[in-house]
Amino acid sequence: MRDATFATETATVGPVSLQLEPGERLTLQCATAEEAAVVALLAAGIAKASGGSVLIDDYDPRVQPVHCKRVTALVPHEPFAIDESEFARYIAYRAALWNVEPARAFAHAELIRGRLRGMHEAFAYPLIGALIGLPRLIILDRPQAVYAPQIRTAVGEIALLSTHTEPAAASAFA
Amino acid sequence: MTARALFGVLQARLYAQRRVVLSTCAGALVAGLIAPASLAGPVLFCSLLGIVLALSQSPGVHPHLDRCEQSAPLFGRELARGKALVPCIAAALTVLVYMTGQLLGGAPIPPLTLLIALGSTVAGTLVALSATMRRGVLRALYVLLAAATSLVAFALVEVGRSVPGALAFCAVVAFLALRQYGETLARYDPI
Repeated sequence: MRDATFATETATVGPVSLQLEPGERLTLQCATAEEAAVVALLAAGIAKASGGSVLIDDYDPRVQPVHCKRVTALVPHEPFAIDESEFARYIAYRAALWNVEPARAFAHAELIRGRLRGMHEAFAYPLIGALIGLPRLIILDRPQAVYAPQIRTAVGEIALLSTHTEPAAASAFA
Repeated sequence: MTARALFGVLQARLYAQRRVVLSTCAGALVAGLIAPASLAGPVLFCSLLGIVLALSQSPGVHPHLDRCEQSAPLFGRELARGKALVPCIAAALTVLVYMTGQLLGGAPIPPLTLLIALGSTVAGTLVALSATMRRGVLRALYVLLAAATSLVAFALVEVGRSVPGALAFCAVVAFLALRQYGETLARYDPI
């Protein structure tokens, strides 16, 4: 991401420059929650930059959005309003969207769920859903600092970008 | 888009919107039971229900589904097809339930009435989908356009006496509306 900007209705976010190599971890301290959310969406290839350039795996999300979304996975800040009874339905849905074989997706999901023990399901399930698509880059939008050890264990060797507004939270993921 | 992804979106959205779908079907059944046999009933009432079903898919109503679909490796047009199928199936269901109500009430159902009601309801629903991606006046205009689609289809049959004309009109409008929705989804920034 080089000098990437995003113009919202009220303000312009950026310019933001960052580079992440495979397997690296990077925490980004942002001034506001809006900036953190926008940078996360830009890095995931979901929002398109108004200025500057964003390259994900050498592809521009404005030209190759599908490839970029296959490489990345975004875990939003907002907790998911789903409980344990809907876990299987949610995994089946994610597996269908990412075209992952259902049996493999469920086995993988259970494995990650074991690593995320103690983490509230509203925060754990989106991360599990993101990881079953086998992304090469995980983007966490303002994750809960208290869950940093579990998240780092679950993510493993996958490149990790997290956006934060609190310095303490950023240092927990550093 | 794989059939599995399409079915996944359909299943997840129908499950999330099950209360709205059940409510519209219940409304269609009651209306079908009490309304006199005519073309206006199923065409206009079911189109209205189709618009409600389309609007219930607006961004923010089911945020976790929105976020999953936005980040899924799918093109805008592919996602549009999946998302459009949901209110279309639900709207078609309301037409069938309305007709069941008519049958239970002892009214005859000519096959052409069913065909025109299905065509105009689906076309109106697809036009209303574009309203979900807009706000303010533009949103209201798309809803009016959706309602006008059904009115035109009805007028083509009742005034113009042209059933093929009405069906062709609905097919063209549905095709253009689906394309427009796909383009809008492809350009949509969720911020």
